[in-house]
Formats: sequence, structure tokens, C-alpha cells
Amino acid sequence: MAAERAMELVRELHRAAGGHLPPFRTDVLRQALEEMRALYERNQADVSEAKSGRTDLIFLIRFRHCCLLRNQRCLLAYLYDRLLRIRALRWEYGSVLPNTIQFHMSAEEVEWFSRYKKSLATYMKSVGGEEGLDLTQDIKPPKSLYIEVRCLKDHGEFEIDDGTTILLKKNSQHFLPRWKCEQLIRQGVLEHVLS
Amino acid sequence: MEPAEVEFLAEKELVTIAAQFSLDRIHLIGGDLGPFNPGLPVEVPVWLAINLKQRQKCRLIPPEWMDVGKLEEIRDQERKEDTFTPMPSPYYMELTKLLLNYASDNIPRADEIRTLVKDTWDTRMAKLRLSADSFVRQQEVHAKVDNLTLMEINTTRTFLTQALDHMYKLRTNLQPGESSHSQDF
Amino acid sequence: MAAAGGDSNGDSDSEEMLLTPAQLIHSLEQAWLNEKFAPELLESKPEIIECVVEQLDHMEANLKRAKKGDLKVSVHHMEIERIRYVLSSYLRCRLVKIEKFFPHILEKEKSRAEGEPSVLSPEEFAFAKEYMANTEAYLKNVALKHMPPNLQKMSLLKSVPKPNLDSFVFLRVLEPQENILVEPETDEQREYAISLEEGSQHLIRYRTVAPLVASGAVQLI
Repeated sequence: MAAERAMELVRELHRAAGGHLPPFRTDVLRQALEEMRALYERNQADVSEAKSGRTDLIFLIRFRHCCLLRNQRCLLAYLYDRLLRIRALRWEYGSVLPNTIQFHMSAEEVEWFSRYKKSLATYMKSVGGEEGLDLTQDIKPPKSLYIEVRCLKDHGEFEIDDGTTILLKKNSQHFLPRWKCEQLIRQGVLEHVLS
Repeated sequence: MEPAEVEFLAEKELVTIAAQFSLDRIHLIGGDLGPFNPGLPVEVPVWLAINLKQRQKCRLIPPEWMDVGKLEEIRDQERKEDTFTPMPSPYYMELTKLLLNYASDNIPRADEIRTLVKDTWDTRMAKLRLSADSFVRQQEVHAKVDNLTLMEINTTRTFLTQALDHMYKLRTNLQPGESSHSQDF
Repeated sequence: MAAAGGDSNGDSDSEEMLLTPAQLIHSLEQAWLNEKFAPELLESKPEIIECVVEQLDHMEANLKRAKKGDLKVSVHHMEIERIRYVLSSYLRCRLVKIEKFFPHILEKEKSRAEGEPSVLSPEEFAFAKEYMANTEAYLKNVALKHMPPNLQKMSLLKSVPKPNLDSFVFLRVLEPQENILVEPETDEQREYAISLEEGSQHLIRYRTVAPLVASGAVQLI
């Protein structure tokens, strides 16, 4: 009765450290909202009693009101903190989130997220000249370094920053700017040859 | 701030190289570089020096202070004084790391230099821990931190400022937010 | 630099002509570091952003015409990468603060006197408003409208934490200052004045030096 369910939600998020997003708890949210309705209804009844003289009820009414406020606060904290986590995922994964994460989001969260993505895209298009500026790129400072890479599969022509094109053929080795290779390394096209 | 970001800033410092190619002046947005003539010394930012060095297009001429004799003096001075002595470069630590990593063949007695800079750094970090501790204990509200370099500030920043924030919050007993109106009563 | 405070028609080219491209990049880096270390969102610098973007576009267009495989071209590309990083990191840092403090930032914007410079660029303002509307609508739909009538209203302004202006910052003095009053930490201590000599570095509460950060007299480090 004393906002236990709402607290459970907050505790669950608190335990899920590191920005992890646990499944949305629709059932617990509904139970907490029902608890609030019950508290409110009982208070409504007791308020009219209190008005007609039962002043001994005042303490109980106050107590229920505190429970209601605590419920409200915990539920909103739960929902808001989840939004912050979802927001961070946009920057980590890009605009399409992995399925495992999407499964953990409620329909309304998905909607919030798609609006957030849209606002962000509009903003990024409006800065940085004609093509806009993708702020989810260039997260780390650039390194003007070259590294030795080996090509793991045929990838075709690849333009490096000085405008030259090289042919990325399976098993060929190249000395390339690191910042140009990072994505291809992630995609498994190139591997970093450690000397 | 990430250490990589401090390193990024350090890479803007100028160093002298002897180019092994010829090239006219380059008009970069941040200013002009060059001209480059084989064997002639020319100043370039560290990011470019490292890049050219990696592509074997230049020889690095170490900064004047990157010298065993000079660094021994600096280390001894740092050990003698209670305060922080001025460093030869605001990025002495990062430059040592970068230049020794990518151009150690152009720096005489590279290993000794690495050790000397590390010793100086350790002495300074020990002083920094002491002063941070006394700052917090004495409940100071202002400190002069002259001669501290960005990397040094950066290593204590998060810990120190968060500790101060917490202590401030504990002392100033924040008022709880207003609650909403009680039920019609 | 950044003299174009109250000028809201966005056409401040004449004032920016005073900055060389090198000075422009320097101003961007200063704004970036200040923004990184200041607890609150600082005044936006649309003229700097605009000019830097122009410089980058111009350089990239030139490079497209340049001879391929030229050493010079690769040096230009490296520089562009570096500038673009600072620009992106700067704007990103501002977005993070806008998302963190949006109710307070929008409230400040609402009460801003005419002619006083906005802390938000027009694009950031649009973003902040959408973010606020989106978040408010979400909380209302999912929870608030299902709550008892007296609990359906909630003020984001009161619920979302404010920037902590009392946090400590490190700074370097660019223009000397006299008589900066430092408030004591405890009741037993007295308020005292310090002077900030050019080139000196300090650790101090952000609140004490906020106007100096805004005017460019000190640089956060």
C-alpha cells in the first residue's frame, strides 16, 4: 500500500547499472496506478467524513496523500530515467536499435524515441552547411596515424583522404590512415596487422 | 575530459622537423605551413609531424627541452620545491609520450628521457594529491593552480570537483521541492 | 570576437570579417572548452559556427578539384578532420546540456528581455521545444492522465535537476581582473577579494566567475 510497487520499479532500474534497459514493466505500472486510485477513493470518502466531524481521520488522510505523492514521484522517475537510457542508446547504436533492446521498450517509448530521432535529425540537418553535420560521428578525436591493415575479403575500390583510390583485394596489405579504416575493420573487411 | 582529448590539444603544439621532400607553402585554415625543402628545418604541428614521420617523409628535431641534462635539472628542481615549478611545455607529458612513441629514433637517449619525465610527473602528482587534500580539509573556496598543466588538472578534476560538490550539498542542506496541493481538504 | 550579441537578424558578416580564419578556429576551440567545463549551457555562438562551416565547405570544395594523391591534399584533409571533430564535439556537448536541463533553459528563454542574447541558437531552440513537448506528452499519456485528478499536473521545471552553478571549475585568466569577491564556504570564514592576474590559473566556484566566462575574460581549462 505504501508505494511498494512504484519503489520496486525504481529499485529495478537502480540495479540495472551502466545504462542497461530492462524490460518495461507494464503490469507493475498498472498495479501502482490502481493502488493510487484506491488510495484516492478512500481518501475522498474519509475527507467527507472528516468534514462532518471525524477529525481523527486527518492523520490517515495525510498519510495516504504522502503515499500518493511517493507513487507519483517514483513512477515518473522510473519513466523519465528510462527515456534518458533510450536517448543514450541513440548515440551508441545509431538510429536503428538492436531487436533485443526494442523488445524491452513499450509502444509509447518507441513513439517517444522516433520523435526524438526526428528532432535530432532535423537539428543535425540544420547545422553544418548543405549536407548537415552528423553529430553521432567523430565521437573520438581524430588521429592522423597510419596503420598496417590486411584485407579479409574483396571490397573493391576505396578512396582514401588524399583522393587516391586503392583496390581492396582479399589478402592484400595496405598502409592506411587509421580513421579511414576503423569502420571497415568493424565491418570485418580489414584487419589491423600488429607488427 | 578524456585523456585522448588532452592529447588532441597537445597535437596542436609546434615542433621542428627536417622535411625529406619539397613542397610550397600550405595554406591551412588554421594558418600557413612551410615551405618545405629537403633537409631544412621547418615548424609544423605535432599531428602533422607524427604523420610525416610515420610515412618516412621527415626527421624530427626534438624540442630543446627534450634533453637529458635539461630534464634532470627540471626533475631536481621539482623535487626541491614545495610548489609546482614551471614546465618547459604545457603539454610536456603528452609530447614526450607522442614523440617518443613515433620518433624515438630521432631523439637521443630516449629511454632516459622517458624516465626523467615520468619521475617529474610522479613528483608533481604527489604534490597535487597533497594540495587537493588540504584544499578539501581546509574548506577553501579558491586556489591558485599556476603551472599545473591540463593533463595534471585533468587527472584530479573529476574526483576533486565531485568531492567538493558532495561536501557542499551536505553542508547547505538543500530545501526539498514544494509538494503538490493536498487532496481537497 | 563574438561582438554580435543582440544582433538577431543573423547577418553579422561585417563583424566576422575582423577575424582571420586562424582566429576563428581559436574562438571555436575556446568556446568548446568553456562549454565542456561550464556546468550550465553558455550563450550560443551562431556566428562562429556559421563561419567555421563556411571555411570547411570552401576547403572541401577546393580539395575536390585538387590533384589526387597529393601530399598537400592529405594535410588539408587531416586539418579538416580535426576542425570537424571540435565543431561536432562542441555542438554535441551543447545538445547534452539542452537535454539535461531543458525545462530550465526554456524557462530562461521565456523570461529573456528583448535585445538580450539568447543562450540557444534558433535550431537548438526548436530542438529543445520539441524535446520538452515530446517528453511532457509521453509522461502524461503513460502515467499522469491515469492518476487521481489532483496529481495529474507535474512541473518538469521542479522535477528536472538544475545545473549546479556552485560546482568548481579550473580557469586561466586572459584579461586581468581586480576585486573578485569570493564567498566563504563556512560561517566562520569571511568573504574576501582576489585579483586575477593575466595568465594565472585558478580553482574556484563557477558561480563566482560565470560573468567572466561569458565575457571571455577567463578561459575554463
